[in-house]
Amino acid sequence: MLGFLSARQTGLEDPLRLRRAESTRRVLGLELNKDRDVERIHGGGINTLDIEPVEGRYMLSGGSDGVIVLYDLENSSRQSYYTCKAVCSIGRDHPDVHRYSVETVQWYPHDTGMFTSSSFDKTLKVWDTNTLQTADVFNFEETVYSHHMSPVSTKHCLVAVGTRGPKVQLCDLKSGSCSHILQVVFAGHRQEILAVSWSPRYDYILATASADSRVKLWDVRRASGCLITLDQHNGKKSQAVESANTAHNGKVNGLCFTSDGLHLLTVGTDNRMRLWNSSNGENTLVNYGKVCNNSKKGLKFTVSCGCSSEFVFVPYGSTIAVYTVYSGEQITMLKGHYKTVDCCVFQSNFQELYSGSRDCNILAWVPSLYEPVPDDDETTTKSQLNPAFEDAWSSSDEEG
Amino acid sequence: MQLFPRGLFEDALPPIVLRSQVYSLVPDRTVADRQLKELQEQGEIRIVQLGFDLDAHGIIFTEDYRTRVLKACDGRPYAGAVQKFLASVLPACGDLSFQQDQMTQTFGFRDSEITHLVNAGVLTVRDAGSWWLAVPGAGRFIKYFVKGRQAVLSMVRKAKYRELLLSELLGRRAPVVVRLGLTYHVHDLIGAQLVDCISTTSGTLLRLPET
Repeated sequence: MLGFLSARQTGLEDPLRLRRAESTRRVLGLELNKDRDVERIHGGGINTLDIEPVEGRYMLSGGSDGVIVLYDLENSSRQSYYTCKAVCSIGRDHPDVHRYSVETVQWYPHDTGMFTSSSFDKTLKVWDTNTLQTADVFNFEETVYSHHMSPVSTKHCLVAVGTRGPKVQLCDLKSGSCSHILQVVFAGHRQEILAVSWSPRYDYILATASADSRVKLWDVRRASGCLITLDQHNGKKSQAVESANTAHNGKVNGLCFTSDGLHLLTVGTDNRMRLWNSSNGENTLVNYGKVCNNSKKGLKFTVSCGCSSEFVFVPYGSTIAVYTVYSGEQITMLKGHYKTVDCCVFQSNFQELYSGSRDCNILAWVPSLYEPVPDDDETTTKSQLNPAFEDAWSSSDEEG
Repeated sequence: MQLFPRGLFEDALPPIVLRSQVYSLVPDRTVADRQLKELQEQGEIRIVQLGFDLDAHGIIFTEDYRTRVLKACDGRPYAGAVQKFLASVLPACGDLSFQQDQMTQTFGFRDSEITHLVNAGVLTVRDAGSWWLAVPGAGRFIKYFVKGRQAVLSMVRKAKYRELLLSELLGRRAPVVVRLGLTYHVHDLIGAQLVDCISTTSGTLLRLPET
């Protein structure tokens, strides 16, 4: 590290190299820290977590009891022992609280004034953070499994919603309508949509994953159908009928784009995780081994960003497995939860991981690289005293 | 390849290796996958879907496959269709599966010829209008394989603490059900991650995973 610092100082190396090397080193040292805690508010399992992208300071969590809690993650006290306190929460006594379990929450990507939440009670609610009131409610015919709003888009305010029906619906926040539906009779999905995700690179590209084992990439401006259906065997593209292409051999539970948007990771109930090239839909054949996945609804996993080789954190039963994205090697398994882990998010400013599970806890995984320096109060006070003022007599216990 | 007991099937089947066995032999799975993909593209091997588990792929050398299939359908009424298939489709298309219009338009097969191929066991139905490549007569192999896999797994399961040293497992007498050989199955179990492989001071230990 000192070598990197001096190289940066003298201009031999780009400053980004030091940042990436140090981030990678910190991610490799992630573990549970007794000094960091998240206040426990939820009475049910935690289904979803989201950290706001602007400052990385506030975190939203949605639970299976319908409660949504907002935490402040910043450590403004001087001590190393810190509990992330809940700033406010939408509890069961709130008039607009969701009636059933909250499946997905997401901050508005451009500021923290607004967030969206979707739940099994067939609604998507848009909340104003400062007053904690619903600004808008979208109702659907089926239970909502997942929703996502594009993190980079400036041209549209569409929220993609995946429900139990085979149609992907797009809700427009500017106009309040939810009439745009992505469903082409033959090429659309056939079963429930378990996960949706916008590309972090292009404004209009959306990926959807469904229980019929298919993952489709759509351009929402094009009404005629999906762009690509991902095929795990990388079959010949000359096949006219894409209906037999499956991305996994079971339901596809989770989707995550890498932070540059060039690759897409998918997780399925066939206990596999696959990495796809998002521009041509090719399976890059990186093999992560068995990634246990028994979840009947979506699994939310996350990718690190800012490290030299990106890591993916996947909930694996009651642990979290960490793999390198491009080589498929398993780095470690983070053990700490008592029950199944449902979701995890990565805070890229401090390289911390927060995970929520069915045991109603949110755990914070913090990089621990150095032993804490013990308090050396005695040595400092001793050295401050001039030897002339020190007492010359020793304690009388031994002599007497 | 040497582990495959040829005598058992009286030379009617080409030696089949499973992808999970390759994973157990090569330490890095991604590299193994990529190399298999290269060999498949060069036409040296064919990958075949074994019916019992969607993830289990069998790997066969193309030459072996060709000779066995020809021998199996010698003198049968569908020999002509099979030979045409082997000659035209196999070198051209290295995939595991074939689609309806691909067969009729690109390769010029009629529906009756496709039925002949299914009867011969070269194609297996996957979906309406698409087929997997298959090995004729592989039913017996799959039956022995599934039974043998279950038998070896139960040997580990019945052990105290559900774990066995690899050397001890291989030293035991194989139960009658295991016709393909203990080492064949052990490689497959390790590669498919159905047992955890832990290295100890007395050698490799096989332990059943917790779930």
